[in-house]
Amino acid sequence: MTIKIVTDSTADISPQIARELGITVVPVYVRFGDKMYRDGVEIGWDEFYERLTKGSVHPSTSQPMPSDFADVYSKLSKEADAIVSIHVSKKMSGTYNSALQGREMAGVSSRVQVIDSLVVSMGLGLITMMAARLAKAGESLQTVLSEVKQAIPNIRVIGVFDTLKYLALGGRIGKARALVGGLLHVKPMITMRDGELVPAGLARTRAMAVERLVQMVKTTFNVQEVGIVHSTTPDEAYSLKERIGSIVSEELIHIARLGPALGVHAGPGTLILALRKSVEPVGVGNP
Amino acid sequence: MKQIKTAGGQDLREMFNAATTWLEKSVSDIDALNVFPVPDGDTGTNMLLTMRSAIDEAYLAPDHSASAVAQSLAKGALMGARGNSGVILSQIWSGLAQGMADKEAFSGKDLAEALDKAAQKAYQGLSNPVEGTILTVIKQATAAAQKQADSDESDLLSVMEAAVEAAAQAVADTPTLLPVLKEAGVVDAGGQGLYTILEGALYYLRGEIELIQLRKPIMVASSIPLPSRIQQTFQSEVPYGYCTEFIVKGKELSVDKVRVKLQKKGESLIVVGDDATVRVHIHTLDPGNVIHYATSLGTLHKVSMRNMDEQLQDFMEMQKERMPSVDMAIVAVVSGDGLAEVFSSLGVAIVVSGGQTMNPSTKDILQAVESVSADKVIILPNNKNIVLTANQVHSLTKKSVKVVPAKTIPQGVAALLAFDYEADFDENAKIMGKALSTVRSVEITRAVRSTKLGGLEIKKKQAIGLLDDDLVAVGDSIPDCLHQVLERIDMDEAEVVTIYYGADIQLTDAEKVSASIREKYPHMQVEIVNGGQPHYDYIVSIE
Repeated sequence: MTIKIVTDSTADISPQIARELGITVVPVYVRFGDKMYRDGVEIGWDEFYERLTKGSVHPSTSQPMPSDFADVYSKLSKEADAIVSIHVSKKMSGTYNSALQGREMAGVSSRVQVIDSLVVSMGLGLITMMAARLAKAGESLQTVLSEVKQAIPNIRVIGVFDTLKYLALGGRIGKARALVGGLLHVKPMITMRDGELVPAGLARTRAMAVERLVQMVKTTFNVQEVGIVHSTTPDEAYSLKERIGSIVSEELIHIARLGPALGVHAGPGTLILALRKSVEPVGVGNP
Repeated sequence: MKQIKTAGGQDLREMFNAATTWLEKSVSDIDALNVFPVPDGDTGTNMLLTMRSAIDEAYLAPDHSASAVAQSLAKGALMGARGNSGVILSQIWSGLAQGMADKEAFSGKDLAEALDKAAQKAYQGLSNPVEGTILTVIKQATAAAQKQADSDESDLLSVMEAAVEAAAQAVADTPTLLPVLKEAGVVDAGGQGLYTILEGALYYLRGEIELIQLRKPIMVASSIPLPSRIQQTFQSEVPYGYCTEFIVKGKELSVDKVRVKLQKKGESLIVVGDDATVRVHIHTLDPGNVIHYATSLGTLHKVSMRNMDEQLQDFMEMQKERMPSVDMAIVAVVSGDGLAEVFSSLGVAIVVSGGQTMNPSTKDILQAVESVSADKVIILPNNKNIVLTANQVHSLTKKSVKVVPAKTIPQGVAALLAFDYEADFDENAKIMGKALSTVRSVEITRAVRSTKLGGLEIKKKQAIGLLDDDLVAVGDSIPDCLHQVLERIDMDEAEVVTIYYGADIQLTDAEKVSASIREKYPHMQVEIVNGGQPHYDYIVSIE
């Protein structure tokens, strides 16, 4: 049985990993004024952050169109028996709905499973990568789906923001609105719960915020895989990787760049840590 | 690049038909923002009803020219206008129709000109235009549209985009212009409504009808941090009376004369129309009087009277339901505008004014505890003398109350930063209590009289320095005294120095002090904040 895995560009999966694991990434649209770009395809990351911080027009994003999904599903259904399409939390974006519509447009509804990951960025990326490995190993559709469903509640995503300005501009701040920081240069931290952004707290300095990310990895039992995502601070991401390298083996820590689709809302200086922990509690079940 | 040169009447109608659908999706969100001029929570509903009436009439337009459709939209809006924002919206339509008169189709330039007429009309309808409302939004949108229309590459789409973008910014800025919005922690409802309508029209022009179906409009976030104090704002004893609206039809009516006549009969008066039809909107305690006068002018139509005090009650109930479902809230005692803003921005629900030499009463703190929406309340006294007062509160209320005994402002801030969103009430009180010892507090003030304290000879008006509430230094100058205190602290271990300068200190002086600290302790991050507190010239936190 051939299963193809699809996600969207908010998963922040690098083109290299996508190629290796056979993941199809449907790009989200980024718009500067009246110009529309496909995330990662038509606009590069450095160019994007340069324009985000220095340009006069604040960009916005729109979800992929149903026809984008329909095209992907039609093409993949020629070579696969089933398609598992895993996406950004539907409370944050219309992508999930767009995928459902695309499935109908393509007339392949029975063969496409559309799943709401309840998370975003590498949180979504880690679930998708896990699904792709299972699919590649020839597991059954049932196994892939049940593993994905079990993984979803075991994903943690927490981000350190330099400012909440960009989230506020994009109107995406949701319940995390309580964190404004205001006059002090405190660093807001946001996590995800039930598909929504919620406040995780405030750190007095950036270093203290990064320390909390390290603590999160330290205090979580049985971490399976980690994603570190940065928008403009690669050095910080690599030093964080080094610090948690003693807890999680290095090949299970992936560093990724926050793509434009999310970068619009997060801004420069964003550092996100995503982790997938094991479904079984420690000491229970077979190794 | 997609360009749209012109649009005709059919497009005009469909644009705003789509915009009405878009508006409809956010009616309840807009209603919830409504605090000005009367917090009766119906702005979104009123704007929607006005738009619907406009669209219905647009389908009856005699032909498909932009001019005819705009006239019909304006007529429908005027006939169906409800509430303050509805009537102003109808004036915007009336101005747009004037601007599009005799036009088969309209270009970007035409739209910008019509918007200008619309903005003028909107201001004219009011006896007392207030900024920070829908008026400011139409004005800013118009200015941006005109600027874009004057550029070489302008087309209809780019003009509309410029207008929408400026409208969003104008909505975000409304709390800076209108204090009642800032206090209530919201942006202006009517402004948001207008922005949503323009945004919906833009989606239509871009061909993104799908977006309108799938998405929901987003409420614009304020450009300044806003405290969530909605509950406090409306404890007004003044009755609002009746929102009275009607249309008078007659001959040779004078809008100006009617306006002058009704000027003193109530608030939020809007009189618009022409010599045959005049629409009146007024908040009055005596609607009978207003109606009596109006019947002398001609026949009355679409008469509506609503008891706003009753509406306010419903609105308060609605707000209660909409308050974030936090079960915990924090009340802090702080003096100084800057410090109050710092505490609000870090998540304090209510700031009770008070501090050194001006301790609040138990009743003051109790009132704050009672008025927050949560049943579990943490109090940060931020002063040694207020800890005791705060401790009295728990026996006077049914709510669960815990006092985190912060004795200084820096301790209060440290406690707030430690607040853990995942932890429960008891745990948070513990975590916050623990955080008090993670910070050192320095306070610099002046001696009110000569004395001898803790082995120090102090002359009246000399600068004195406290470290964690203990008097440890005395000096002839403030900076000298501050440095004396800092020398007692192990600065190698610390990372951040935050300087809150008081009401009597100039920024330039604070900057000098900050520079001297940076010079002496180059590894530290130093921040200056205008605390605006009385009594203490400087409050410094070392973390």
